[in-house]
Parts: sequence; C-alpha cells; structure tokens
Amino acid sequence: MNEFKNAKEEYDNTPIPAGLSERVQAGIQEGKARYRARRGRTVRRWGATAACFAILLAGLNLSPTLAKAAAGVPVLGGLFRVLTVISYDASDGGINYAVSVPGLEADSTLAERVNAAIQEKMDAHLAKARQDWDDYREAFFATGGTEEEWAGREMDVIVSYEIKSQSETRVSFVVTLGEGWVSSMEERYYYNLDFSEDRDLTLRDYLGENWVETCNAAIERQIADSVDEEGFTFFFAPEEGGFTTVDETTGFYVREDGTVVVCFPEYSIAAGAAGIPEFPIN
Amino acid sequence: MTKEETLTSFLIETQARSYRLAYSVLHNRDESLDAVQTAVCRALEHQDSLRDPGAVKTWFTRILMNACNDLLRQRSRVVPFPENGEEPFGEDPEPSDETLARRVDALPREMGTVIKLRFYEELTLKEIGEVTGQNVNTVKSRLYAGLKRLRVAMEGAEIS
Repeated sequence: MNEFKNAKEEYDNTPIPAGLSERVQAGIQEGKARYRARRGRTVRRWGATAACFAILLAGLNLSPTLAKAAAGVPVLGGLFRVLTVISYDASDGGINYAVSVPGLEADSTLAERVNAAIQEKMDAHLAKARQDWDDYREAFFATGGTEEEWAGREMDVIVSYEIKSQSETRVSFVVTLGEGWVSSMEERYYYNLDFSEDRDLTLRDYLGENWVETCNAAIERQIADSVDEEGFTFFFAPEEGGFTTVDETTGFYVREDGTVVVCFPEYSIAAGAAGIPEFPIN
Repeated sequence: MTKEETLTSFLIETQARSYRLAYSVLHNRDESLDAVQTAVCRALEHQDSLRDPGAVKTWFTRILMNACNDLLRQRSRVVPFPENGEEPFGEDPEPSDETLARRVDALPREMGTVIKLRFYEELTLKEIGEVTGQNVNTVKSRLYAGLKRLRVAMEGAEIS
C-alpha cells in the first residue's frame, strides 16, 4: 500500500486555482437565494425567535476576530477575504428577516472602515424597517382595520451581498438592503477596494482622466437605445429630473471581465418599473 | 449556529478538498470549478435534505460526485475536435503514465471512484456506500476488483 502514499501525495498536491473561493462564494449566494425562493413564504418559525434575535443583533460586531470565528477559516495567502459574517433567517412579529452580511477580513484600516460602514447601514436599515412596519400597523388599525384583516400580513427585510469580482488585491462587491411589503424598496451600496494600496477605487482609476465624459457618453447612448418604436422609455428626460451626469458619488461595480458597470438608485433617473438602472461602460 | 451557517462554513473550509476530488474525476480545471460551484449551490438549495448534520461530509460528497457525473454526461454529448498538436486547454500536467495515480485514473469510473474515496479521501467503506448509493458489499467487490487491476499487493492491506 506504500504505492498509494505517493498517489495520495500527488492527489493532495493538485494545484488549487485562484478562482476557487470566488466560485464557492457564488455557489453559496445562489444556493441560498434558491433555498429562499423554494421555501417561499413558508418561513420556518423559530422557537424563542425574539431571544435569538436579540443575541444575534448583540453579536453584530464585525471585528476581524468575529469574522474569523464566524467562518472558521484562517487567512491563507492574499491580502484580504470577504466572508459572510452574519447569516440568519428569522421571523419576528410579522417581519421575515433574510440577512446575509459581508465582512472584510484584512489587517487594514480600509477593512475596518468598510466593515463599520456596512454595520451602520444595516443597523439603520433594520431599525427603519421595524419603524415602517409599526407605522403601517398603527395606520391600519387607526383607519378601521380589524385583527382578522391584519392576520397573516408579513414584511420581508433583506440584507444580502454579491461579490462581482475579486483578485489578489482588489474586490468589487455590492450590498443590498431591501424591504418588501405593500411596496418594495431596494438600496444598494457599492464597494470597490484595493488592499495593496488600502483605499477605495474610483471611476477615475478604471476609466482614466476622462471618466466623466466616457461614462456620460455610454449612458446617454444606452438611454437613447432604450426608446422603443413608440417613443417610450422608462428613463426620465434630463429636464424632468433624468440623467445629466455621473459624479464622485455615482455607484459602480466591476465585473469579472473588467467591465465597469455604473448604477443609479431606484426611481432616481427612471420609473420604478425600470428597477435599478445599470450601464456597462465599454 | 443554524444549520445553514454550519453548512456554509463546511463548504468554505472544505473547498480545496472538493476541488481536488472534482479534479480527480474530471481532469479539467474549468469543469472542476463548475462542478464545485454547482455542488455548493445545490447543497444550500437542498439543505433541508441534510437530516443529520454529522453526515454532512458524505452527504456533500455525494452531491459533488453527482455534479461531476452530470458534467461527464454532458461531455459525452459534445465530441471535441482537437486540432493537430494542440495541447488540451485548461488542464494541469498529468502524472506520468507509469505512476499508480495515472493507473487509478485509467480505471473504469466506478472502480476508480471507490479507490479514490478510499485511499485519497480516506473514507470508510460504509461512507463510500453512502456517497455512491451502494451497499457495502458492492463497494467491497469494486474495491477488490480495482486493486486487482492495479496489481497492488493486498497482503496486510487495511481496506475496511
């Protein structure tokens, strides 16, 4: 059986491609989304949900230590890692939570800053969602609604993220905060980070000095192309509050193939039916 | 930790192992990455079917092997036309023909699977049965048949 020692050694030394962890992350995100879709609204009710929830919220400290413990993986090579530091589903008082929060694990102030920003946004989002829900409930009963009519009303609160691209030193990911009930809203935050230089990447970094002109030309062309044969488009005209120009606050992410995709908030430059407008800049 | 968290951690921690196992079946980098991603996705999508979290390793290995087999089936439908003298794309160098590893790869698929799971992944015969969906006797006979073909001496070999 000694022969197998060499064979196993060879097997154990199979080169692991750099893209593996991205692919695993992608599989995780997709699998979770499919699982949610599959379960639909039959969200499993937890016993003592409120208690669990309080503990989870108390534990939302995205320190590198917690991040490491959460995924139980050491940092192997590379300058950073993006991990799901918090992931849970719970139901509490008619609100269904589907929360998957990213955290950056890196020995850098950039990671600390971004982790803190994500946590702050998530805390505010959860607080606002609960407030919205209480307001809605109050208004419902104040206007003559009955307990019977109220029964079964539910709201979905979503925190999720998606890694758009990742290399040894750079990562581009999007955090989505959503609320869904009588109306739905979705807010997205874009992070493009370089850990070799410990800083945020900008459109200028990717598109050069003329980044404003480059973006504007590509976006205007795509808006023009969206007009159908009857002259209709979801996009507002510039004089009606539609698109005028990109600036430093414009969100974007970078695809695996290096394409920069510029995004605008829902309702900002187009009707809500258009969702979140995205423009690849070629 | 919820089951989903435990499962997610498991999938992240064992990703290198998953890739190696997929690569030992597919011998193609891109296909192996596809297989791992598909298996990870399926595992989370069907997490409710994991009744016993202690059995996560065999449960997931089965999903992974099925994903690999799906890709092999797809491959048999698409017949490649290699250009003369062109190296196969996306493959890492294979061990030389003389090695045992190469001979294991050349075994019929079911025999090779049992050998790899037993000697590379060091699963027990019972676990291999859970992965491949066969009873232990079938696993045993495939293992013996495989070893016989490999002409590996079995004296004193611990195979169960």
